[in-house]
Amino acid sequence: MATLKICNLSKTYPNGVKALDNINIEISNGMFGLLGPNGAGKSSLMRTLATLQEADSGTASLDDIDILKNPTELRKLLGYLPQEFGVYPKITAQQLLDHIAILKGITNGNERKELVNYLLQKVNLYNERSKSVKGFSGGMKQRVGIAQALIGNPKLIIVDEPTAGLDPGERNRFHNLLADVSEDVIIILSTHIVEDVTELCSNMAIMNLGKMVYQGSPQNVINDLKGKVWQKIIERNEINEYKTNFTVISDKMVAGKPLIHVLSETNPDNGFESVIPDLEDVFFTKIN
Amino acid sequence: MFKEFFLKELGSGLRRPMVYIFLFIMTLMVWGAVVSDNVVIGGSIGNVYKNAPHIISMYCGILTIFGLLIATAFFNNAALRDYNYNFSEILFSTPINKFGYYFGRFFGALILSTIPLLGIFIGFLLGAAMGPAIGWIDADRIGDFYLASFINNYFLFIVPNMFFAGAITFAMANKWKSTVISFVGTLIIIVGYLISGTLLSDIDNETIAALTDTFGIRAYALDSKYFTPIEKNTLSVGFNGLLFLNRIIWLAIGTVIILGSYFSFSFISKNKRVKKNKEKANDVQIGKILVAPQITILFKSSTIFKQFLSFFSINFYSIVKSTTFKILFLFSVIILIATLAGGFEYFGLQSYPVTYKMIDVIGGITVIFVIIILIFFSGELIWRDRGSNMNEVIDATPHSSFTSLVAKTISLICVTSLLNLFFIIASIFYQFINGYNNFEVGVYLQDFLYNALPMYIIWSAILIFLQVIINNKYIGYFVSIILLFLFDIIMLIFDLQSNMINLGATPSYTYSDMNGFGAALEATNWFNLYWILFGLLFLGFSGLIWVRGFSNGFKNRIKSAKKHLTPTYAVGLLIISVLWLATASFVFYNTKILNTYKGTDELEEGQAKYEKAYKKFQDIEQPKITTAKYYIDIFPEERKLITKTALILTNKSKQNIDSLHYTIDKDWNMKLHIKNAKLVFEDKESGYLIYQLNKTLAPNEKMAIVVEASYISKGFENEVTNTDVAQNGTFINNFSILPSIGYNEAYELSDKNTRKKYNLKPKDRMPELKVDCGKDCNKNYLSNGSADWVDVESFISTTKDQLAIAPGSLVKEWEKDGRKYYHYKSDHASQNFFNFMSARYEVARKKWNGIDIEVYYDKAHPYNIDMMLSAVEKSLKYYTKNFGPYYHQQARILEFPRYSTFAQAFPGTMPYSESFGFIVNLEDEADNNVIDAVIAHEMAHQWWAHQEVSANVQGATMLTESFSEYSSLMVMKNSLKDDIKMKDFLKYDFERYLKGRSSEVEKELPLYQVENQMHIHYGKGSVILYALQDYIGEEKVNNALKSFLDEFRYKEPPYPTSLDFLKHLDTQVPDSLKYLITDWFKEITLYDYRLKEATYKTLANGKYEVSMDVEAYKLKADTIGNETKVKFDDWVDIGVYSDNDEKKLVFQKRVKFNATEMNFTFEVDSIPAKAAIDPRRMLIERVITDNVKKVTKI
Repeated sequence: MATLKICNLSKTYPNGVKALDNINIEISNGMFGLLGPNGAGKSSLMRTLATLQEADSGTASLDDIDILKNPTELRKLLGYLPQEFGVYPKITAQQLLDHIAILKGITNGNERKELVNYLLQKVNLYNERSKSVKGFSGGMKQRVGIAQALIGNPKLIIVDEPTAGLDPGERNRFHNLLADVSEDVIIILSTHIVEDVTELCSNMAIMNLGKMVYQGSPQNVINDLKGKVWQKIIERNEINEYKTNFTVISDKMVAGKPLIHVLSETNPDNGFESVIPDLEDVFFTKIN
Repeated sequence: MFKEFFLKELGSGLRRPMVYIFLFIMTLMVWGAVVSDNVVIGGSIGNVYKNAPHIISMYCGILTIFGLLIATAFFNNAALRDYNYNFSEILFSTPINKFGYYFGRFFGALILSTIPLLGIFIGFLLGAAMGPAIGWIDADRIGDFYLASFINNYFLFIVPNMFFAGAITFAMANKWKSTVISFVGTLIIIVGYLISGTLLSDIDNETIAALTDTFGIRAYALDSKYFTPIEKNTLSVGFNGLLFLNRIIWLAIGTVIILGSYFSFSFISKNKRVKKNKEKANDVQIGKILVAPQITILFKSSTIFKQFLSFFSINFYSIVKSTTFKILFLFSVIILIATLAGGFEYFGLQSYPVTYKMIDVIGGITVIFVIIILIFFSGELIWRDRGSNMNEVIDATPHSSFTSLVAKTISLICVTSLLNLFFIIASIFYQFINGYNNFEVGVYLQDFLYNALPMYIIWSAILIFLQVIINNKYIGYFVSIILLFLFDIIMLIFDLQSNMINLGATPSYTYSDMNGFGAALEATNWFNLYWILFGLLFLGFSGLIWVRGFSNGFKNRIKSAKKHLTPTYAVGLLIISVLWLATASFVFYNTKILNTYKGTDELEEGQAKYEKAYKKFQDIEQPKITTAKYYIDIFPEERKLITKTALILTNKSKQNIDSLHYTIDKDWNMKLHIKNAKLVFEDKESGYLIYQLNKTLAPNEKMAIVVEASYISKGFENEVTNTDVAQNGTFINNFSILPSIGYNEAYELSDKNTRKKYNLKPKDRMPELKVDCGKDCNKNYLSNGSADWVDVESFISTTKDQLAIAPGSLVKEWEKDGRKYYHYKSDHASQNFFNFMSARYEVARKKWNGIDIEVYYDKAHPYNIDMMLSAVEKSLKYYTKNFGPYYHQQARILEFPRYSTFAQAFPGTMPYSESFGFIVNLEDEADNNVIDAVIAHEMAHQWWAHQEVSANVQGATMLTESFSEYSSLMVMKNSLKDDIKMKDFLKYDFERYLKGRSSEVEKELPLYQVENQMHIHYGKGSVILYALQDYIGEEKVNNALKSFLDEFRYKEPPYPTSLDFLKHLDTQVPDSLKYLITDWFKEITLYDYRLKEATYKTLANGKYEVSMDVEAYKLKADTIGNETKVKFDDWVDIGVYSDNDEKKLVFQKRVKFNATEMNFTFEVDSIPAKAAIDPRRMLIERVITDNVKKVTKI
C-alpha cells in the first residue's frame, strides 16, 4: 500500500499567479480524480508531482521518497502521461516505447521486447507497431501515451487530461485500461470532465484558483447536495433576473432555451422542480 | 487589388522591427569597413579610395549574398503568413483576385527586402564623412561620390539579386509551405554560386563562370578585371558588358520561375496526401501476451550506458533522417564533385591528386557544412523534445540529464565525423580512378584525428552549451553564428594572436609529403586537449543548467542546478577543471614564456622605432664581406641548427672606418666575436649594435669576425614561426644566420598608410634610376651593400639518414660520431647568397659537358625527375651558346617542403618547392611546360643575377627576372617551334601583367624603372622581350644580352642599371623600330585594336582576296592609370586562320598601322576561316576577343 502525501505545497508564478496555494492531501492506492476548471492549478500540481516543476514551499512524498528533494528516486516509480503528449517524427510506436523502457531501467533486451509487445497489445496498437507515431490519430497517440506511462511497474501514475479529444469509444477503452491497473498503484487523473471522475474514481478532489476546495469520495459530496438542487427552463431574457435572485449553479441550453440549476435549501417554487444532483452540480457549486 | 496587397505587405513589414534591424546591421558593417584600416574587403588598397565606385559595387555584390537571408525571411513571410495563421481559408473564400494577391505580396516583399541593403549606401556615406572626422582614416583615402554608382548598383545588384532569390523562395514557400524548405532554396542559390566559381580555376572558362553567377559578382569582376586604380575610383558600374548580360539572364530565369509558380498557385487548398495503407490485411498476431511479462528494473552504471546508447541512436537517426541533413549532404557531395571535376589545375597542367591536396579539398568543403550542421542541429537536438512535446515524458523518466546531453553532443560529433569519413573515402576513390595509387589512409585518418575531430568535439560541446544556457533556439542560433564568424574579426581588431583565447583555435599545420605534419603537430595536439577539456567543462555546466521540466527563470534554474550538483558530479567537474587548468598552464608556458610572439601592431611599432632611431646610420661606410666560411650543424630531429661563420671583411671605401654597425636577429641567438673592438652601443629590443674598433680600418684593409647563430626549438609555439628548420627538409639561407651590416632598410614599413600612422613620410620603394647613379650603384639589390663577389666555403653536417647540401663542389665527405659531414667550395666567386639544406633525399644525376646535373628529391615524388634533368640540360645548351659560359661544376635542383611555393636560384643550386614541379602530372605532356619553364628560369638566373647583378635602383629586376623569364621562353620556343602554343603559354604572362597593374598599390612604372613589381618584371618583362625578339630577331636580342653581360660579368661595382642594358640594346635595333624601346621599355603603352569586318572573295587565279576593316588606337598610361590616346605609326601583324579553332595560322603579314580606320587587302592560298589582328599576340591589349572575326564570303 503506497501513500502519497502532500503538505502545504505552494507555488506562485513570476507573473503573480498563485498556481498552488497551500495544498494538503493524502492519497493511497486506487484511482484519484482531480477536478477543476481550466487554470485551477491542476497541471501545476501534476507537474510538481511528476518532478517537472519546483515548488516554492511545502513537501510532497511518496512513501518515504521526498519528491522535491529526490526527484530521481521518484522517477523510478513514476508513470506520467502529460496533458500535451507529442511524439518524435519518423519513429515507430515500438521504437518509442523501447526507448522509454530503457530510460526506465529495463535493460534486458528480451524482457523489454516482450513488455513493449504486451503493452502494445493492451492498448490495441500491436498492428500499428511499426508505423510512425506521427501519423496516428489523437486517440491512438493517447493510447501510446498510456502505454508508455505503464512501463516499468510504476507505483504512481499521473495522467493529465487524458480524455480530452477522444471519441466516446476510445474514452471507454481508456477508462478500462486505467481501471485494470488501478488496484495496486496510485493513479491520479486530472480532468475537467466530470464524467471521467464519476465513472472511475473512488476518491477525488476539486481544485479552484490553486486551492483544494473539496476532497473526499464523489458519493459523499453528492449526498451532501441531495434535495438542494432545483431546475427550471426559462426564457433567454430572464437569465440575469434569475441570477440576481437565486444561487444559479449552472445554466445550459436545452432545445434552445436555458435550463438553470439553482442551489436552495428549500423549494424556490416559481416552477422549479427538484433534481437528483450529480457531480457536475457539485463541481459548479464548489467553484462558483 | 494589386495595390492593396502591395501596400499592405509593405506597410506591415515597415511596422515590424526586422527591416530596421537588418538595415542597421548592414549600415554598421559597411561603416565599420570604411572607417577601419584593418578591414579590407573588395581591395580598397593603395590608391583605390575607401569609397571608390568599384568598391561600392564589390560590396553590393558580396553583401547581397548575406542579403539572401533577409530576402528569404521577407518572401517566406509574405508567402506563408496567411497560411500559418490559418487565415488563408477565410481569405480565399472572399472574392479577391489572384493576380493582385500573388504579386502584391511578392513585390511588397521585394521592396522590403531591398531596404536593408540600402544600408550599404548609408554606411558608405556615413563612413566617408565620419572616418576622417574622427581621425580613424586619412581624408585622402576618401574620394568623390557619384550618384550613378548608387542608382546603378541598386538596379544592377540589389534589385535583381533580391528578385531572383525572392522568386525562388516565394515559389518554394507557396508550393511546400515550409520555412525550412524556403531556406533550402536559399542554400541552393548559394551552392549554385559556389559551383559556378569552380569554373574560374581555368581562365578559359571565365566567361561561363561570369554568366552562371547568380549574383553577378564574377561578371562584374571580369568586366573590371583590368581596371586601373583611376578607373576603380571614377567609373560607376554601368548597364553594359557581361554584368548587364548576366543580369538579363537571371532576371529572365527569375521571371520564368515566378510566373510558373503563379500559374500553379490556387486558392483551393489541395487535400493533403494520404499515405496509402500498405499494411498487410492479415497481420497475424503471434502469441498474444495476456499476462504482463516479468521485468527486472536495474539502475546501475551499465543502465546509464544503455540509456546513453538509446538517446544516442534516437538523436543520431533524427539528424541523419532529417530532410535538412539529407539536403546538406547532397550539396556537399555536389560541391565535392564540382571541385574535383576541375582537378588540380596549374598553368594548364594537372597535379597528381596527392593526399595533401585531397586533404585540403576535404577541409575546405567540409568546414562550411560542418558549421551549418553543428549550428542547426545543436539547436534542433536541444529543442527536439520540447518541439515535439515529448519533453514532459522524457524528463520524468529516471535518467541523468548529463547522459542525455552527452548523447546529443556525441551524436553531433558522429554525424560530422561520418561526413568527413565519407569525404575521405570519396577522395581515395577519386585518387583510384585517376590512377594515383599511393593511398595514404593513415595520413587521411591522422589529419581527421588532429584537425577535424577535435574541432567537431569542441564546437559541439560549445554550441550545445550555448543553446542550453540561452534557452531560446533562435537567439541561440544567432549567438552561435556570431561566435563562429565574428570571433576572428574581433581578434583581428584587437590585434590578438593567442590561440588560447580564440574559441576552438589551434595552430594551423601544413601537411607535407616530405616533412609530414611537421613541428606544428605537437602544438596542435596540446591545443586540442586544451579546448576539448574546455568543451567538456562547458558540457558539465550544461548538464547543471539544463532545463528539465518547467524550471524556467534564472532563479529556478539555479535552484535545479544545485540539485543536479551531486558530490560525484562536483568531483567530476573539479577533476576536469584541474586538468584544464594544468593543460592551460602548460600551453601558456610553452607559447608565452618558452616562446614569444608579437602582434602585428607591436611589430609595426618596432619597425617604426628602428627606422626613427637608426635611419641616420644608413649611409655610413662599412667594410664588406669578401670571404665567408660557413660551419653549419643541422640536428633535424630536434629542429636545431647551430652555425658559426668566419667572415673576412674588407674596407672597400676610401675612408677610414672606426666603428662597426650591425642589426642582429634575436630569434637566431646571434653572437658576434670581433677582436680588437668593444661593444659601445646595444639596443636589445631591435638588436642594433655598434662596435668601436680599437684601431681604425684603413681603405683596402681586411679584418676577421666570427658570427655565431643558432636556432633551437623549445617546447611548442602558438603558431610555428620557423618552418625553415624541419625534421625532413631544412632549407635556410645565409641571411638568416648573418647580421645585417649597418642599418637595414628592409626593416622599414613600406605601406604609405601604415607609415602615416607612425608619423613617417611615404618612402620610395627604390632609389630613382639616373644616368649618373653614383653611390647607389655600389650596392646590388641581392646583398644590398654587405658584399660584392665573395669566395665561399661551407662545412655542413647532418644526421646519418639525411644529405646536407650547400652550393659549390663537394670537396670532401666524411662520417664522424654517427653524423655526416660535407665540405663544399664554390667554383667561382659569387654573390653572398647561399642556401643550406638537409633532407632524406634520393638523387638523380646526369652529365652534360662535364657539368653534373643533379636532382635531389623525396622518394614520394619520383614522377618528373627525368624531365627536370633534361630541362636543366636544354637550358645549359641554349644559355652557354647564346650568353656565355657556365661557371659552376654542377647544376642542382633540390626539393623542399611546401611551406613555400617557389623556386629560387642560388649559385649552381636551385631549391624547388615540392608543391608544384614535383607533383604535376607530365605523363602525357610531350611539349615544354611550366615546370620546364620554371627550371629554365632558375637556370637563367645563373647568368642573370649570378654573373651580372643589378644596382639597387629602379629597373633592377628587369636585368634579372625579366631576362630570366625571356631566356626561359626562348628555351621553350626553340624546343616547341610552334607560335600558337607559345601564345597559349604567354596568355598567363599577359594576364599576370594586366591583372597585376589593376591592383597596383602605389604606382605603375615603365619596365625600365620597375620597382621589384612582379607583374611588371615577370609579366610585362617576358611579354615585351618576347615581342622584341619577334620584331628585331632572336639573335639581335641575344647579342644585346651577351654584350651587356660581357661588360658586367663578375665585375666589381658600380653595378649595372637598366640604362646600361638599353645602351647595348640600342645598337641592335634598326632605326625603323627604335620607337619600340620608348613605347615598351620607357613608357606604359597599351593598344586597342578591333577588327570591324573581314570578308573574302575567290579570285580567278584560285586564290582568295581577304579584306579587313580595322579600327585602331594607341594609348599611353600614367602611373595611376590615366590613359591618353596618342598618334601612332606602328608595325602590327595581321593574319588569317584556316580553321575556326584559331590553331592554323596560314597567313600573316606585318603592316603599318597609322590611322584609326584602316583597310587591308591581301591574297591567300586557302579558304580563310578567321582573320585576326596581331594573331600571335605580341602587343599588350586589354580586350583581344574583338581582334578576331570570321571571314565572310562576298
